[in-house]
Amino acid sequence: MIENSFNRRGFLKVLGWGGATVALSGCGNTSVEDGKEFVTSYVQTADYIIPSIGTYFNSTCAQCDAGCGIMGRVREGRVLKLEGNPKSSINNGKMCGLGQAGVQAHYNPDRIREPLLRNGDKGEAITWEKALGLINEKVGGVKAENIAFLTGGVSGHVKALLKNYLDALGSGHHYVYEAVAPSIMRAANKKAYGIEMPRLRLDKAKVIVSFGADFLGAWISPVHFSQQYARFRKADNGERGVLVQVESKMTLTGANADRWLAIRPGTEGILALGLINALAAAGLSVPGDVAAVVKEYTTDRVSKDTGVSTEHIGRLAALLKERSPSLVIAGSAAEGYAHGSQNATAIALLNQVLGNVGKTVEAPSSVPFPQMAPATGNRLALQSLNDNVAQDKVKVLFTYGVNPVFTAPASMKLKENLKKVPFKVVFAHYMDETALEADLVLPLNSALEDWATAMPEYVAEGAQLNIQQPLMEKLYPGTLGMGDILLALLKQRRPDEYKGYEDFYSYLRSAMVSNKGALGGLATDDDTFWDATLSHGVVKLAGTPVNMSGSPSAKGLVVPGPFAEDSAYPFHLIPAVSASLRDGRNANEPWLQESPDPLTTIVWDSWVEMHPKTAAKLGIVEGDIVEVASRSGAIKAQAYVFTGIHPDVISVPLGNGHEALGRYAKGIGVNAFKILDSVFDKETGELAMHETRVKVSKAGQRVVIVKDEGPAGGNQMGRKIAVRMSSNKVNLSGEV
Amino acid sequence: MSITNLLENWSDFRQQHPSDERPHREYKWAMSIDLDSCTGCNACSVACYAENNLPVVGKEKFAHGHSHHWIRIERYWDNDGREFADQGAQFLPMLCQHCESAPCETVCPVGATNHTADGLNSQVYNRCVGSRYCNANCPYKARYFNWYDYPTTDNVWPEPMNQQLNPDVTVRGKGVMEKCTFCVQRLTVAKSNARSAGRSVLDGEVQTACQQVCPTGAISFGNLVDPLAKVGKQWMTQQVELNKDKQAKDAEEKAVKLRGYRILEELRTYPSVMYLEQLRESAI
Repeated sequence: MIENSFNRRGFLKVLGWGGATVALSGCGNTSVEDGKEFVTSYVQTADYIIPSIGTYFNSTCAQCDAGCGIMGRVREGRVLKLEGNPKSSINNGKMCGLGQAGVQAHYNPDRIREPLLRNGDKGEAITWEKALGLINEKVGGVKAENIAFLTGGVSGHVKALLKNYLDALGSGHHYVYEAVAPSIMRAANKKAYGIEMPRLRLDKAKVIVSFGADFLGAWISPVHFSQQYARFRKADNGERGVLVQVESKMTLTGANADRWLAIRPGTEGILALGLINALAAAGLSVPGDVAAVVKEYTTDRVSKDTGVSTEHIGRLAALLKERSPSLVIAGSAAEGYAHGSQNATAIALLNQVLGNVGKTVEAPSSVPFPQMAPATGNRLALQSLNDNVAQDKVKVLFTYGVNPVFTAPASMKLKENLKKVPFKVVFAHYMDETALEADLVLPLNSALEDWATAMPEYVAEGAQLNIQQPLMEKLYPGTLGMGDILLALLKQRRPDEYKGYEDFYSYLRSAMVSNKGALGGLATDDDTFWDATLSHGVVKLAGTPVNMSGSPSAKGLVVPGPFAEDSAYPFHLIPAVSASLRDGRNANEPWLQESPDPLTTIVWDSWVEMHPKTAAKLGIVEGDIVEVASRSGAIKAQAYVFTGIHPDVISVPLGNGHEALGRYAKGIGVNAFKILDSVFDKETGELAMHETRVKVSKAGQRVVIVKDEGPAGGNQMGRKIAVRMSSNKVNLSGEV
Repeated sequence: MSITNLLENWSDFRQQHPSDERPHREYKWAMSIDLDSCTGCNACSVACYAENNLPVVGKEKFAHGHSHHWIRIERYWDNDGREFADQGAQFLPMLCQHCESAPCETVCPVGATNHTADGLNSQVYNRCVGSRYCNANCPYKARYFNWYDYPTTDNVWPEPMNQQLNPDVTVRGKGVMEKCTFCVQRLTVAKSNARSAGRSVLDGEVQTACQQVCPTGAISFGNLVDPLAKVGKQWMTQQVELNKDKQAKDAEEKAVKLRGYRILEELRTYPSVMYLEQLRESAI
């Protein structure tokens, strides 16, 4: 018999050590499968990591500029899902489909993984050292005024660093270009209220009249407005707000309206003035100068010009008079014309007359750090860059966060002009259309791997600084964050000032901590402040309300009459901004491609919307491939026939039609940006997106449209599936 | 479990639609969806893709009806021949209704789909043989069949996109039927946590992915047995009773109506999802 030198306890001890050793060598720091991947060891992990239990980290959504707070669910070192951060007053824990697809931008198989330098038609992989050295050499070899930076909307510390870099170069050429920005509305608001972006209180309004503002879909801050909308529809006292949408092509918001009024394109301003006139006739007090302007807009004339029936104008005016406060919103559809500013002013005037300013149109807060406030811009900026490029005034061009080769109308000849720029640097996630034109492509970290701060343009309460922090390790060692790149470039120019910062993280931390007093961390020590900031994901700032100066004036307001018929190009083209694809930068995320368009239920393609009357006139049925031709170009896509569009209008969604970008976007659909005519708003000079006139013809083939709706095409065939009732038949206050 | 025990206590083991004599014990998961709040934005559907590892099938397979959206937005028009859809659209999030007397359950030859004690219609993937009888029998068309082995299909989850897969949820292979589970993986965790704490799951403690994301808060979800649960209060206020195929309130003619209804209730499926009718203002 064996003595007790090797008992059970000892055996287990040995086994335990053995197991641990195996764990260390097998899963710890040793590579698995020839160094291809590393598996996290759980022998020594951080306190808060429990295998198989998700940990949440707060950050900021970068899928659009609304700046919703997100919570990334992280498990075993991987981010799995994005959820809303309840601490952000913008989205209060909610999300949209576009935002959730951020995880597919991060894990996208088509991301660029290393810096690429042009060699003939190919991109050759180079090191970051070489790439940054090359930039230093190129910017050193030209005059400062010949260096230009083209970016999308930027804010926060990246914007501050960018400005410092431009200052260091001695050049101030920063062009900000957002392809689908509400720039005409910003200008009209500035004129009317002295501020670009007043706060809208949908939840306080009893009636909302929206002139083509798709606030539930793709306009400014849809997740925030959706929450306000829910309270508007079901207030605590059980009162239900009434939504009237006036537009020529139904948006998602229009599809939710109590009354959707199909208006002749471009006549939104006429209807607004007609409503003021009708309200004045009904006894609402209207200032004398306004009354003088609107008195010729009789209901009969307005009805004739706009195509909206006198009955509906009368009922709408009565509703607005009876239920106060209301809210009138001018959206992109009203502004997209050469007289877009006049339309917006007429609509602002209606708000003023109704006494909504100060009630449902509120003053925003001032931004405590103006150097981090969002920089905005639109086509005008791109136009001025394009002009400079055409005149050989740009020798080095940096592009970040935009894809102008895709979003610029063909008539601008941007792609051709770019060939004149000797050295083009593009900071990109994918090889998009603009990156293909570049001489040097620098791959960026995904938004889930990167440090940044952001200040959204539209904030619900006070002011807010959003924190974007990495939710996991970088997927590829060859990518870099925009902040890190700018810091490296700044070190080349101002080494003394920036050499103390090892990376953008240390810069950001020190910038935040040194300002902690203003960021609400006065009483705490640096580490506590920083940890709390990262943990919350947002820093709420005490902003003081801005004074809303000025008021919309009727002086000099001339709203032109309806468009004249154009026999060569009889239809108006409305390029539709969809909630999921927007300007197309996210088109390579498959969830968004397979997410049906809410109105047509079409997936994975573009389409041409038209009214049944129009289709009948042209002999077109659903699925016919039609050619839509403007004076600037033509596109071909499948026809979709439905009654959510004015018969004078043809609509094509934006976002698809990529020639590059990646496997899920390339070759899908057509790009409606390309055929937009160069017509500009007369006051702001911005591109009038809805001014393009087109003709439509059958191209011969017919396809079966791939869509989610059944063969009955949205008809319930008498079954009780989706049911609707009149709001006066229910008592909402009795509901839970 | 002996046969004798099974036969003697058959009614304890058989999960049938509840009657007044046999109510649910601890949990009965149910939902209510307010169609007047639903804007049709599709956020719920994308959330479901993220939570439940739903494959993106691509255009060709979508055209063949192979899409896998466990919750989808149905869009209906109510024009009545008018020139325009001037009262907007009717959006309806359609998902498995978790019927108490589910037509899919009775036809499954292998018992892969069955009713849990919590009132869920569950799908046991490794028992499913792919007969698709359940799919044919579902009046809501809420079941989705794996015609392909999506994990190995090109561009469904290409490297590194497979890293986004939720480890709490099975990645289904070819030949298996699947559908909405009411996020059973979340329910299991919540129930386990509650049990450890010696209590029942509290209202709001567990959310389905679609409910969590909904920007207008149109979806409520909870335990119908819990008297404090919002969803139960909603069902009660709307006078929709789980175990009735005709609601008493519908027989009455009243000036003020209640909005709650269940889809195709007359088929005696006893759905666990109540919808609240969409409203439209009469003054405009």
